[in-house]
Amino acid sequence: MSVATRNPAKDQVAIAAAATTGFTRSRTGVTPDSLAVDACVDAIRAAGIDKSEVNGLIGANNGYLQSALGIPEVNYYVGPGIPFGFAIANAVGAVSSGQCDVALVYHALYRNPMFSRSAANDPFRRGAPFGMGGAGALGGDGFGPDTVRGAVGYTAWASRYLYEYGETRDLFGYIALNDRSWASHNPGAVMRDPMTMDDYLDARMIRWPLSLFDMDVPVDGADAFVVTTAERARDMALPPVLVHACTTGQIDQNEEDEQPSLHRHGQHVVVESLRAKSDFWIDDIDVFFPYDGFSFITVSWIENSGWCGPGEARAFIEENWDDDDRRLLLRGRIPVNPHGGGLSEGATQGSGHTREAVHQLQGLAGDRQVPGAARALLFLGGFFFNSQGVALRAD
Amino acid sequence: MTGAPRGGEETDEELLARYQGVRLDHVNKHFYRGLLHRELRLNRCADCGWWHHRPKPICPQCWSRNVVATPVSGAGTIHLLMLLHQGPPAEGVDYSTPHPVVTVELDEQPGLRFTSTVVGVDPDDLAIGQRVSLAWIERDARPYPVFALRAGGP
Repeated sequence: MSVATRNPAKDQVAIAAAATTGFTRSRTGVTPDSLAVDACVDAIRAAGIDKSEVNGLIGANNGYLQSALGIPEVNYYVGPGIPFGFAIANAVGAVSSGQCDVALVYHALYRNPMFSRSAANDPFRRGAPFGMGGAGALGGDGFGPDTVRGAVGYTAWASRYLYEYGETRDLFGYIALNDRSWASHNPGAVMRDPMTMDDYLDARMIRWPLSLFDMDVPVDGADAFVVTTAERARDMALPPVLVHACTTGQIDQNEEDEQPSLHRHGQHVVVESLRAKSDFWIDDIDVFFPYDGFSFITVSWIENSGWCGPGEARAFIEENWDDDDRRLLLRGRIPVNPHGGGLSEGATQGSGHTREAVHQLQGLAGDRQVPGAARALLFLGGFFFNSQGVALRAD
Repeated sequence: MTGAPRGGEETDEELLARYQGVRLDHVNKHFYRGLLHRELRLNRCADCGWWHHRPKPICPQCWSRNVVATPVSGAGTIHLLMLLHQGPPAEGVDYSTPHPVVTVELDEQPGLRFTSTVVGVDPDDLAIGQRVSLAWIERDARPYPVFALRAGGP
């Protein structure tokens, strides 16, 4: 094993500002790039800087974005993969190594006509790229629906979890309920109606064992961030949020059906590395952001990051469940995904989790503010190709 | 990798013609050629004996290039199970009853797995841990490997 443990960039790079368009399931008349432009303009204004200070761009189609925003010169520009932890890792590397000084980091979401009736009715989306879900799901390997490639792989491994621990689906329902309860406090979230466990259990089955409310919601919207040196961020308009540590992780047997087990995949690489890099861990944080592209991924991050042992999620969740507000409150005080997560704010592929973490540590989280929030841990992505961890702290 | 088709088997051009719309390449073509002959040929290292799937150009264990697409028996145990209530269009699949997808751990080697559907069974009777064997159906005018529950238990 040779998991990375050095952390020379510790606290050297800061997120100076974060902005969002908010999310919707019905808007038309936008493009992914126009959404990104809107979020970028707001992030630059929130940081209180001139656009000419930006000399790094991290996000999709960055040539077009630079041209649209009229940013005179950039030295670092890259389109990272998803989810959003790759963008953070890129920004930390680029800023700490001097590839750029001020990076504009953005991520836009755009409903695909294959997954959204209202998007299918937008004639300008007919040529939209397929995006996530994987070519396998479209039959590119000749196996049609008979595959665990792509996002469906999480459903397959969720069935394994239920089998190994004799668990039942309502365990995943706690994750959906927590997100929905928080989303009612987030004006930018798409799913804000209250939900009960009965609502969860009655939801339309999509791919057993996961139903509609186990899957994040396709949305239109974008988040954007200004990332720079900690020193320079201190001269900007908002309190800096320091990137204390970040990592991504993948193992050799990473393809969905060859993953050795629930006990060896990308999450384990991330946890080992981030734990070595970070001076704080779960008991020291004020707010927790485990990814929830599927509810089962959240259960897995809770176990693998050490809140409880493998297979112990039910006991842990029930012990830390606030029944009055239908939400998780870990150790009686630590909220989980208070923006509503991907399941209820919208499927942001981690940019929403990151933006909420930044706003919480800046004291800008409105109704959802955790008093005095100073440290956050984010675990983004799933198992196979995109596990990621980020430790953020207030300056 | 062994390159030449076995005696009487399809040339690369013929293989491509049979698999239009499927992303064939020089590494995975041996697997697909096997399907046309109702053999599930998975990659095996001819030097150290290690099986792997999906196809790679090298043995991940010993780095031998002497990797040969080799038939498996197809006997194994259900390791992962999904029941699709909706999904992409496919011949013979209408989702009016949930469509099962299984990842089967094959008897040849721990962790060697293959994913397909299961035929001839009420999906509600399926469970992880059940024993299955390989079966063949026709889909898109080609032989297509599936699994069937093994009669008489393990």
